[in-house]
Order: sequence, then C-alpha cells, then structure tokens
Amino acid sequence: MNPINKTLVLLLAGGVGSRLNILVQSRAKPAVPFGGLYRIIDFSLSNVMNSGLTQVGVLTQYKPLSLMNHLGNGAAWDLAGRSRGVKILPPRTGSHDSDWYKGTADAVRQNIDFIKAHPSQEILILSGDHIYHMDFDQMIQTHRQKKADITIGMMVVPKEDIHQFGAGITDEDGRIVEWEEKPKVARTDLASMGIYVFDTKYLLALLAENREEVDFGMHLIPKAISRDNVYAYRFNGYWRDVGTVQAYWQANMDILQADSGISPEAWGIRPNVEAGGRMADRCPARFGAKAKVENSMISAGCIIQGEVINSVLSPGVMVAEGAVVRDSVLTDDCQVGEGALVDLVIMDKQVQVGRHAVVGSGDKSKVNELHPSHLYTGITLLGKAAQVPDGAVIGRNCIVSPQRLPHDFPSLHILSGATV
Amino acid sequence: MKLKPKTLAMVLAGGRVDELNVLTYYRPKSAVPFGGFARVIDFPLSNLMNSGLEQIAILSQFRSFSLINHIGSGAAWDMIGRYRGISILPPSTGHASSSWYRGSADSVYQNIDFIRYHKPEVVLILSGDHIYNMNYQALIDYHKEKNADLTMACLSVPKENAQRFGVANIDDEDGALGGRVLQYKEKPQQPKFNWASMTIFCFKPEALLKTLTDNAQADTTFEFGKDIIPRMLADQRRVYGYKFNGYWGYTRTIEEYWQTSMDLLGPKPKIDLEAWGIRTNLEHRDIRDYQPLKVGSRATVHDSLIYNGCVIEGTVERSVIFPGVHVKPGAVVRDSVLFFNNKIESGAHLNKVVSDVNSSFGQDAMIGEEGAASEHEVTVLGWDNHIPAGTIIGSDCTIYPHLRPEKFGRAIKNGEIIR
Repeated sequence: MNPINKTLVLLLAGGVGSRLNILVQSRAKPAVPFGGLYRIIDFSLSNVMNSGLTQVGVLTQYKPLSLMNHLGNGAAWDLAGRSRGVKILPPRTGSHDSDWYKGTADAVRQNIDFIKAHPSQEILILSGDHIYHMDFDQMIQTHRQKKADITIGMMVVPKEDIHQFGAGITDEDGRIVEWEEKPKVARTDLASMGIYVFDTKYLLALLAENREEVDFGMHLIPKAISRDNVYAYRFNGYWRDVGTVQAYWQANMDILQADSGISPEAWGIRPNVEAGGRMADRCPARFGAKAKVENSMISAGCIIQGEVINSVLSPGVMVAEGAVVRDSVLTDDCQVGEGALVDLVIMDKQVQVGRHAVVGSGDKSKVNELHPSHLYTGITLLGKAAQVPDGAVIGRNCIVSPQRLPHDFPSLHILSGATV
Repeated sequence: MKLKPKTLAMVLAGGRVDELNVLTYYRPKSAVPFGGFARVIDFPLSNLMNSGLEQIAILSQFRSFSLINHIGSGAAWDMIGRYRGISILPPSTGHASSSWYRGSADSVYQNIDFIRYHKPEVVLILSGDHIYNMNYQALIDYHKEKNADLTMACLSVPKENAQRFGVANIDDEDGALGGRVLQYKEKPQQPKFNWASMTIFCFKPEALLKTLTDNAQADTTFEFGKDIIPRMLADQRRVYGYKFNGYWGYTRTIEEYWQTSMDLLGPKPKIDLEAWGIRTNLEHRDIRDYQPLKVGSRATVHDSLIYNGCVIEGTVERSVIFPGVHVKPGAVVRDSVLFFNNKIESGAHLNKVVSDVNSSFGQDAMIGEEGAASEHEVTVLGWDNHIPAGTIIGSDCTIYPHLRPEKFGRAIKNGEIIR
C-alpha cells in the first residue's frame, strides 16, 4: 500500500474529566472503567481498528499511567506489528516546544515531529472520551470525495443542549458556512463531535500560522470555515460524552436495555483483558444456589451468592449471600458483604462493603455538599479500595474518598450529601 | 543461577478416547472444552506454569488442528521468552525413522533428538488429558532426593476400580510422601494393589533414552504403562512412586466428564479454578472479545458457572455454560454442560445434556428426561446439530456431529444412537 494513502490517527486523551470526581482522581477520563470489561478509550480505539486504521498517536497529559498500562503495545486493538503501532505522546521539553499542552491544537502542534515521521494523506483527530460506534473509513472517503480541507463529524442534538458543543450551519452540499463555539442561543441543532479529518498538508500549514491559536473548536475551526473547504460528516446513532457521574451511570444502564442502541459486542469493541496482568486468569462467573440475578451484566470472575438487579459488574466482584445490589455499577474486585444493601451506587475498583451495611438510602434530593454540581441525582460514589464498615448506613449523593478504611468513618451513619 | 531450565516437560496430547465418543471425533481429548472457558490441557499447562517449569514440548498426532490453535504462541501460560517456550512436536518424516506415533513411548522415542538437544537434568512426561492441580516441583524434588531413574505420581484408588489403571505396589520408604515401586501391573484383571499411575513420570534422561531405545529395538508395543515401566523394573532401575492425595478428574467416559464438570459447582467446589490458577488462551475462539454475561429480567440462574459472551434469559441450574451460549426466555437448562455458541430457543428443556459447539435447540425441544440427574444417564450431542422445534430426545442418547434435521423427525428413545 502506498504510504501516502494512509490516514494517521491522533487520539486526544489528555482530558481531566473533573466532573467524574473521584473516578478520575488517579486516572485520566479515557481510562475510567466502563461497561464491565471496558475502559472509555476502548470505544475510540476499537472504532479505529474496525475502520482499518493502523497508526495511532495517543496524546496524554493528565495522570497517564493507568492509560499507558491499559494500552500496552496495542496488540489488543491489532495495533502491534511491522506497519502498525500505538504510541503514547506525553508533553516533552525540547529546544522549541517545551511546555504542557495548552489546548487541543497546541497538543497536536507539539507533536509535529510525530506527524512528519509517519507520512500520511490525512490526519484523523478524535477524542478518547466518548462512547459510540463509528466507521471512520467512510468519513475519510467522504472527505476525499468532497476534496475537503477539513471534515468534521457532526450529529443532531436537542436544541437545548447545543450550548455544550461547537455548532455548525451547513449549505445543501454539506459544507459548513458558519460556526459558533458553545452558542448561548441555538440557531442550529448540528453539533460537533470533536472528530476531525484534516488534509495533512493543510493541517501543518494551518498550525504554523499562529502559535497563539491553541484550540481547534475555539480558534482553528472558525478560521478555516471562514475561508477554506470545511465539510460536515453527519453521524446518526448512539453517542455519549460520559463526562458527568449521571451520564456515566446512565450509559452503563443503557447497555442493559435491549433498545438503547449501545452494544459493545455487536460494535466490535475490544477491551485489553491482559492489562493489569490478572484478567486472563478470570474463571467463568459463579452463581450460588440462592443467587438471584435480573437484567444485569456480569463479568467473568464474579461470584454471586446474593441478589443483583439492574447492575453492571466488572470482573471479580463478589456479592455475598443475603446482599442486594440494585441499579449500580461495580468495577473490578469489589466485594459486597453478607446482608448488605447497595442501591444506586458507583464503586471504583476494590471497594469493600461490610456486612449488613447500607449504601444509598434516604433522600435523593439532598445534593452533595462539596460538589453539588457533580452529585445531585441520588448516585453515591465509593472511591478506589474504600472499605465501608459493617453495619454502616450511607445516604444518597455521598462520596467516600479512595482508600478510606472503617476507622476513617466519623460515624456509622453518613447522611445524604456528605463526603467521607 | 536459574536462567536455563533444567527440566524438560513433554505433554502427551495426541490421543483420542473412544469412550468420550462424539466429543473427540474432531479433536484430541486434551483439546476437549472443560470448565466453562478452558480446555482439558489447560490444567497440566497451568500446573506447569505454576510449578515454574518453562520448557515444554507437546506431542500431538490426532486431529491436532484444534490443539495447535489453542496453544498459539504459548504466551497464555507465560511460555514465551528466551528460555521459555512451547514446541509442538507432530509426527515427522526423517531419514532414519518415519512413521506415525505407534504409542505414547514411541512419540517420545521419535523425538529423542529434541531431548538430547535440550540436555535436561530431568524429563517430566505427563498426560494432557486429566483435570487436577499439582505442584510438579515437589515431585521433581522427591525424584532428585531419591536419585531415582523414574518417579511416577500415583493416586490411591478403590481396588474394585483399579483394573482400569496401571497400578503399583509402593513400599513405605517415605510414608505418605512415597516409596520404592516394588511391582507394577498395567490394567490387571484382579488388582492386588491400588496405587494408580496418573501418567505423570519424572525420568533421569539417560535411563529414559536407554529404555526407550531397548523397547524400540525389542518390542512391538510402545506404551509407558505397558512397556517402559515394566522394562525399567526388570532392569533393576530405581523406580519410585510419589503419592498424590488431591483431586484427580479421570474423564474417560461421558458420564465421568459430566461428573467432573459437576465438581466445579456447589458451595465448596472440588475443582476451584481460581485457587488452582487455571489459565487458558483467550485468543482461541476470540473469547477475549466477548462482552460480559447478560442476564435478562426474567432469568433464573442457580449454582452454575457462566462465562462472558452468554445471554441468559431463561432458567439455568447446576450447569456449566461456555462463551456465546444464548438461553432464550422460557428455556430451561438443568444439570448440563453447553460448549461454545449453543442456542436454546424458548420453551426448550435440556436435562443432563452435554452439547458440543455450535448446536441449536428449537422451540419446545425436550432433550433428556426430566427428574433428578442421578436417575438418568447423559445425553451427548456432537457439534453443529440443529434440533428442530418440538423434537423429543431421551436420556443416554448419542447424537453424532453435524446431522441433517431429518434425523430428528421422530421421538428418540432413551439410549438411542443417531448417526
């Protein structure tokens, strides 16, 4: 294959995703566990693989260790081989570019050497933050047909949500003629998904124009639309930015619904089961004689003796006899003790809930006092390796920080909205 | 310095087992699925890995495609590296000798060059056919301590069952640990002693090579149990028995296969996959790509093992379910083992069934008689059968692989064989 027919992928994985609260305390948002076996970035990476793209640079900045560990050599997404690769591109010091990434465009600008080292016709830039299924090859073909300088992946959103997005107005040919970044008043319902196909030469020239322009959506895209060929590529289907606790929980619950439009297996989404080294050893899930399971996803290595209803369980979760887990997301190796009740809870890895403890009880309208904009729908968050004492009662919209041990709890009754 | 391995392990994985019937028509016994995600050979391979043995050869002959696929690069068992590796040794032609393996000992004899090349201190030869958890290092330590020519792992079995095995008379030299083998009989009509050989042999290479060569020159049969052990005893070699007292799944009949599978279940399973550290190759059949098990809102799941990639919307009780199985609403699966990608349509009932891969069961099909598992024999189906809606098949039936649907046009009575 002629290398010049290739598309190079740059995956922006530097986002903090701070609204995910303690789930991103020690990892970047793309590395947050999702859907039992996956991490959020698996969706983008699998889309890349399934679109036949073979060279990927992953731009990281915020807490990249977990992400680097997860990517490994890229073999899980068939990105290891003679002409294939996935490279982590953290910020570096150097004679010219020596700074933290100041924005999406700045991050790409600081990796021009990577772009030049991998000759390409187009560059596909996407974010590692979203849950969706998309054929990038089709998008690239459209880009070539239109002879576009930039093609932007866009979808229709409700007008009341348009203020969160870059919004574009197109002519009948699909060319974008006007652009508004996060408009207060909606004039269109066509929103940018943050997925761009750039003609490589065009991108290099654009980046060279003005080093103060550090963001695609804020600076480069509006400028390009005003004078060059920028086209919209319309996407229809399930797409979620799981950037809030509520959206993260809802997208997990969506997998349980047959008609929600999300289906990791049918989409060909691949996890990296080898990351962390232990996943490969997981045995089939074991169900006890008194187990009761309804409408749930259960991963290998789980041991279910109690009740699990409307929940998503990652590998190695144990639910003891008499315990009930409802409407919750439990990630790897969480343990729910005998007789405990877990209702509307997201647990980071290795959380232990003591015997006869209750997590998630009381008034859902009492928002979290420290982070009212993060936890307000009733969901309680338990941080990595936290241990809830036997018999404790924890309310709604609560946060238990990572590594909290039973003696860290001020009392056995944690009121709704409190943080431990 | 422990960089270069001192032990060469050779796994006998070539055999098929007649009594396992339709399950070994297209694969050797060692490649038969077991435990809801694994293959039989994963047990010895995981034992090898957990014992720190890293230089492995696999001797395969019968329908080895499935096995070769399963072993892959060996990375699943951490057997890939400078001095770590799994070599698959199929029969080959050569200028001195060229023939199919004529028996277990012949398969090793034909690979004498391979053994010489590796210059091991110990050759560990074991069967790839059994379900157990053993630290081979303890066996090797005992072998070295006794300066033995051969040390064989043995298990005490009831005398009335002993005629199925090679049995040894072991003295009390080291009490419960082991002792000298005084006598050995292969499958005796009337067993006088009851230490059954588990087909796990530790050899001093010189003794192994000499005995194999003598056997090849003088005999017409070439089996470890029937020929090599008696020959070593006759030569006054130092033959020791290592007494093993753990679980051993000798799955040589369909009923034994089923019972061993049931030993995975219950509150304290006899086979604890997690504690045993069993690893499989997740690349084989791409089982790594499945999403988690999905349990529907009207499903019942009791006392079972179920792997990723299944969808359970009906009832599953006391069963072992491999990836990709779909049990639809209203379907009932009890006391059964379903291999990869079986589909059970609504209203179908499976009772004490072992079904090989890629089969489907139409609506309201009734397979196996209702009632306690202990009252019926297993009905076994070969791979790729599509049982039409409403079909009735009794217990203790055998259904050959890949049959045309017309074969199921009538009720199939208990004990029938459909081919």
